[in-house]
Amino acid sequence: MTGDVIVIGAGIIGSASAYYLAKRGYKVIVLEKSDIIGNGGSSRNGGGVRQSGRDPRELPIAMYGINNLWPTLSEELGYDVEYHKKGNLRLGKTEKHLETLKKLADKASACGLDVRMIGPKEVKEINPYLSDEVIGASWCPTDGHANPLKATLAYYMAARRLGVTYITGESVQEIRKVHGRARIVVTNHDTYEGEYIVLAAGYESRRIAGTVGIDIPMVRKLIECLVTEAEPKMFEQMLGTAEADFYGHQTNHGSFVIGGSTGFELYKKDNGTPVNYSDTVPCICRGIIRYIPRLKDAKIVRAWAGWSDNMSDGVPVIDTVSEVPGLVLACGFTGHGFGIAPGVGTVVSQLVAGEEPVCDISGLKYDRFYAKDVAKK
Amino acid sequence: MKIERFDLIIVGAGPSGLSAAIEAAKHGMRVVVFDENAKPGGQLFKQIHKFFGSKEHKAKIRGFHIGEQLLAEADSVGVKVELNATVVGLYQDREVVVRMGDEVHHFKGDAIIIATGAAENMVLFDGWNLPGVMGAGAAQTLMNLYGVKPGEKILMLGSGNVGLVVSFQLLQAGCDVVALVDAAPKIGGYGVHAAKVARTGVPFYLSHTIKKAEGTDHVTGVTIAEVDSHFQFIPGTDKHFDVDTICVAVGLSPMSQLLKMAGCKMEDNPKRGGQVPIIGEYGETSIPGIYAAGDVSGIEEASSAMIEGRMSGVVAAEYLGFMTAEEKAEKLDQLNQSLDALRQGMFAPKNRGKKITETEEGIPVSESLLHKGFVADDEIERYPGVTHRAGVHPVIECTQNIPCNPCQDACKKHCIRIGSEITSLPAVEPDSTCIDCGMCVASCPGQAIFLINEDDGAGNAEITLPYEFLPLPKVGDKGVALGRSGSPVCEAEVARVRSSKAFDGTNLLTIRVPAKYAMTARFFKTNAQQKEAAE
Amino acid sequence: MNELSNRSRDIGEFVPQPDDDMIVCRCEEVTKGEIRRAVHDGLWTIAEIRRYLRCGMGLCQGQTCAKLVKGIVARELHVSPALLEPATSRSPMRPVEMHVFADETEDTDL
Repeated sequence: MTGDVIVIGAGIIGSASAYYLAKRGYKVIVLEKSDIIGNGGSSRNGGGVRQSGRDPRELPIAMYGINNLWPTLSEELGYDVEYHKKGNLRLGKTEKHLETLKKLADKASACGLDVRMIGPKEVKEINPYLSDEVIGASWCPTDGHANPLKATLAYYMAARRLGVTYITGESVQEIRKVHGRARIVVTNHDTYEGEYIVLAAGYESRRIAGTVGIDIPMVRKLIECLVTEAEPKMFEQMLGTAEADFYGHQTNHGSFVIGGSTGFELYKKDNGTPVNYSDTVPCICRGIIRYIPRLKDAKIVRAWAGWSDNMSDGVPVIDTVSEVPGLVLACGFTGHGFGIAPGVGTVVSQLVAGEEPVCDISGLKYDRFYAKDVAKK
Repeated sequence: MKIERFDLIIVGAGPSGLSAAIEAAKHGMRVVVFDENAKPGGQLFKQIHKFFGSKEHKAKIRGFHIGEQLLAEADSVGVKVELNATVVGLYQDREVVVRMGDEVHHFKGDAIIIATGAAENMVLFDGWNLPGVMGAGAAQTLMNLYGVKPGEKILMLGSGNVGLVVSFQLLQAGCDVVALVDAAPKIGGYGVHAAKVARTGVPFYLSHTIKKAEGTDHVTGVTIAEVDSHFQFIPGTDKHFDVDTICVAVGLSPMSQLLKMAGCKMEDNPKRGGQVPIIGEYGETSIPGIYAAGDVSGIEEASSAMIEGRMSGVVAAEYLGFMTAEEKAEKLDQLNQSLDALRQGMFAPKNRGKKITETEEGIPVSESLLHKGFVADDEIERYPGVTHRAGVHPVIECTQNIPCNPCQDACKKHCIRIGSEITSLPAVEPDSTCIDCGMCVASCPGQAIFLINEDDGAGNAEITLPYEFLPLPKVGDKGVALGRSGSPVCEAEVARVRSSKAFDGTNLLTIRVPAKYAMTARFFKTNAQQKEAAE
Repeated sequence: MNELSNRSRDIGEFVPQPDDDMIVCRCEEVTKGEIRRAVHDGLWTIAEIRRYLRCGMGLCQGQTCAKLVKGIVARELHVSPALLEPATSRSPMRPVEMHVFADETEDTDL
């Protein structure tokens, strides 16, 4: 099968890229290893659409999306992605927490983001359900959240409507060059040919990029999330904590979608099914109850786990590759790709089109990795 | 986090789980069984009917008594049964997380047996989600565990054994079963189960299904209609019934989610009821040390679930070195024979979907039984259990090859012969002497045996039939005799009523009818009951 | 590769049916029409339909409607229901309150 662009990976990054490419008139083929669209971290996250807490290198793309894409995304795609721009509270209970939060806030402010530290009274005004033990928070009023279960599928359905071909159950074995350009994608069943190849396959991207001699230093990390039964409407902000006990929000439906960690995420085993670890949900629950006591009786109906692609320096690679013309990389999102996906999709479509990206992605280059003694210079 | 360890953890204290626990504990394993219910036994304690099979399968014993026996046996070999213990998940490395009270506990087992059973299927029709539409199993739980009548006027959808058995139990509970409906062209369950429902007067509508449940906040009526061979409604065939309850018995689905969560290889196998683990001969899943037993690995019934449970208990015991390979082989050999005996006959798993026209004896099957729920009067004479002679003698209206033989053992005078194949039709021995003890009538799980004196010398016949309804009629009560179809055939008077501990809850009702109705009268209603039914 | 792989395969137009407003998932009140519509919008797996419409994500976790949804989706796609992978099984098997999950008690009497 031949197209203008072959996108590898049907997560939110791949699907957003396919959508914006198709909108520009490209004939796009998306290849997905799983039988299911958006089956990785795209559906398994807390739904954060935030700028605060981000590395300054990926802040421009986050801000671009929040200012220009997310507010009208539901209309644009024709499906409700449940986007709410009601702010992000990052909570602290100790002076040490506040120090951590302040450092993050200062860095973001320096990049022009409206994020500031607020005291317990203001925290309570914003969210009266929080524990009295919360002594402060960083507050970014322009942050928000969307529904991770729906947003990826919305991009997929919209892309499909624009004529994008999706093939599921296609595991990419290698990318092959023709006359020095990346051109052919070989899967377990077939071969596909395109002028451009966009690699947005999460952790799998490392293996696939390796077939054309490019290494992206990332490891796999387990992300775990839970969802509760519908609860009465409580608050609209995105919540997180200084120690990342948990992060998440309440959806339109009333259920809370919350992620969290135990501290062993990098060291979890894979038995072939993305099941939770038995100690994670209890740990997240303890974290939530400490901050939102009211939720102690909320019933958890499901918990998920999925693998994220964690870069050695915590920010993704979004770039063309000079050694491999025709290849565009969009991977290594390190567990925070959901909120920036619309921006990434837009930028990827620009990279394919040979345009100057709408925002600064100079910190996200593929060739930024050097040994520590070289890096120091 | 503390993890408590056991040799064997079993999830589900139903027939297979308890059986597995017993076998494993007998061989010295430290076993715990978790069950989310407040009572153990799974579905056994609501099975008030007598089970089929032979002695080794606990035939003619009522399900809840089998449950009591299993619990006593489990207790005697030191099995811990934890109730109200909900398994939250089966995680990596055979870890089971259990909710007990307001806490969660972590356990690991060197072996795990999942015996979580099955759940009822639903079917879509307009109004299916109205209160008053319920699974037949749910109705059975209400009646037999909680003593609550599911409704007054009930329509049953589904003619498999569950639909038939529950219909009979609804009648026993005093409900009015207005119709038994199935979209299939023939009855799915045992003929004897259908016959005991039909003769009480319940009409069967095969090739029919529900079009609409009526009512605004609860069921007040139902419309059924005939379907063609593609299951499409045939216009102009609508039939309406005033009912307050619709019971749905359209099959079961294995509750195999824990196995899937653990990463066991699964398959969608319609023959086994849906999503099931891919297993070896004795329930071994694709993950070493994790086994599946009972309905969770494929829908059958409680008797085979108990044998499968024992098998997986044995296999787990040998896997962990609690018994030798030789002991295992010997034990499995016994169990295999027992299971094999149950999996024979017309309803054997291997015969599912096959059209059977003749019995193993070469006798044409009763078409009336398959389509209307009762053997027609002109068909009954061809079966070996139906003979004629002077004086009291058994008439056995058992016309399908099913694995069951308690009648053979029940008769101390050897009047009844089945032989070594327990699926053979029972035959009446020509030169035997019936002493009218009634043991055969009470022992037949299908309630298909009658003791008949075709002529008492005064122009009357006396028919002794199994009777499991309340109130029990009294000698001298007058009423009507109903035929196999449930239609009145003649006037009748109660001549004798026998109850005995040996009959295990089945009463023997002897009715007197004119001699010419000896071979057609098969049920009794008092005049008052018949009048009520007519209304 | 099977009949579900190429999401551009022609499955025909969405044709409204008289029973489209019938509720299929009682817990989350999802109708037959919504499920059929979603298939025509490209959601060809039980997992996608579940994420998008929430059917099977309620209190009973699909115990009642899973087979029904599967049947509807299969018919719309003109494939055997057996081809459709059921939704992933996940803990907790039964809804559990946060405070219960939070309490990993150390001791049992077992």
